[in-house]
Amino acid sequence: MIEMRNIVKRFGTQTVLNDVNFTARDGEIFGLLGPSGAGKTTIINILTRQLYADGGSHSTGAEPFETGLMLDQDGLYARLTCAENLNVVADIYGMPRKKSIEALQSVGLGDAVKKTVQALSWGMRQRLALARAILHEPKVLFLDEPTSGLDPATARGIHQLILNLKEKGATVFLTTHNMDEAVKLCDRVALLHKGKIVENGAPSEICERHGAVKTVPDLESVFIKLTGAVLE
Amino acid sequence: MRSVKAMFVKQTLDMFRNWPVLIQYVVYPAVAFVFTVLVAKADETIADTMFVAMFSSIFAGMALVFSAMAVIAEDRETKSLRFLVMAGVKPHEYLIGVGGVIFLFGLGVSVVFALIGGYSGAEFFKFLLVMVLGSAASILLGASIGILSKNQQSASAVGIPVSMVLGFAPMVTMFNETAKQIFDIFYTQQVNVVANDVSTDIARPVLIILANIAALAALFAAAYRKKRLG
Ligand SMILES: Nc1ncnc2c1ncn2[C@@H]1O[C@H](COP(=O)(O)OP(=O)(O)O)[C@@H](O)[C@H]1O
Ligand SMILES: [Mg+2]
Repeated sequence: MIEMRNIVKRFGTQTVLNDVNFTARDGEIFGLLGPSGAGKTTIINILTRQLYADGGSHSTGAEPFETGLMLDQDGLYARLTCAENLNVVADIYGMPRKKSIEALQSVGLGDAVKKTVQALSWGMRQRLALARAILHEPKVLFLDEPTSGLDPATARGIHQLILNLKEKGATVFLTTHNMDEAVKLCDRVALLHKGKIVENGAPSEICERHGAVKTVPDLESVFIKLTGAVLE
Repeated sequence: MRSVKAMFVKQTLDMFRNWPVLIQYVVYPAVAFVFTVLVAKADETIADTMFVAMFSSIFAGMALVFSAMAVIAEDRETKSLRFLVMAGVKPHEYLIGVGGVIFLFGLGVSVVFALIGGYSGAEFFKFLLVMVLGSAASILLGASIGILSKNQQSASAVGIPVSMVLGFAPMVTMFNETAKQIFDIFYTQQVNVVANDVSTDIARPVLIILANIAALAALFAAAYRKKRLG
């Protein structure tokens, strides 16, 4: 269970998170939705203990070694190949190196095992970062905008992979500003606006509550109705 | 231990492909070799070991400082260090793994210098001892600069002049007595002293280099306490 209770976070005089509360249940895909600058990454940083909150409490229900994190593509070794990058991580976790190849295959990089990171496209790097986050089969996985900047086909591949991870019992916490992605993937979502969670629950529930069910649940219009803000 | 090994492997693979760093491990001994063969051996008035002495102290002062600094600054800048810390790698494990590879590369080059210098027997090991200690000093210094710098660019802004002074100090001391007295406390100068005349008693040079190591270890500890690695 991933949980935040009354979390407050300030950067200088700016209050970025103002009494944030939510619970993500074990084994579900939980989506944190909000426009850019809403504080999504800050929430992940607090949950993964890279930032201290100024108030409130939180937990992830997992030890650091049971946690996977994809914040962005940072931290890949540019001159090392895909396999070598993952081998470093496999070595750290004491996993057999064949896991590296398996992880690469699972993100569709089976043909790029021997390519260096600097020779990869943006989308391939994104998938490599994801492979690195899931290599050690974490119990809890944090994905910060896992499909941003990707073409639709690659994004669909990542969606499938996230669903597979859930099948295997992982809890996935992802952020996105893409409402369609949230509806398609997430069991439950929380909508973040101006440092507060303005709504949360299953996407279909939320949409019903706000009379926003068209042919497909329309989270976008709920968000606009609640906040007046438009998501890009 | 697993993490030390992981860092060691990562760094070894990377060194062979990190051209700006690797070139330094080739250029200094290569230049020393060429000058030794073409100039020192051919000219009666120049000691055979003069260029080995000159370039081995430049190598210790520049190449090793530069690589330790560049590697750490890059790992910080690309945030791979942050990822490692998240994955549970302890800072000392990272530093031992990465520093160990740089140290071994330095040791390899030191052996090459010793061979070019034609040192044999006890002299060979005396030279190596001094180089090994000098390398340790350089790695501590480079690591401190890498830790204290925001990114690779600001690391270079500090590291290049510092390592130039260290590396070229022994050359300046050949021409200036005052400089000789001042630079006497620098480990690179002492590497140079031993390399120039390896039959000398190395007790004093070794003590001075050890004092350098102690001072740089203190600098490193302070840098580390101030900045951590993330
Ligand atoms: N280290 C920081 N120092 C100061 N302000 C920050 C820092 N990190 C984030 N912020 C600010 O906090 C707000 C939320 O940022 P972030 O969590 O990255 O948003 P999101 O991920 O939803 O786009 C932004 O206004 C951003 O400028
Ligand atoms: Mg963000």
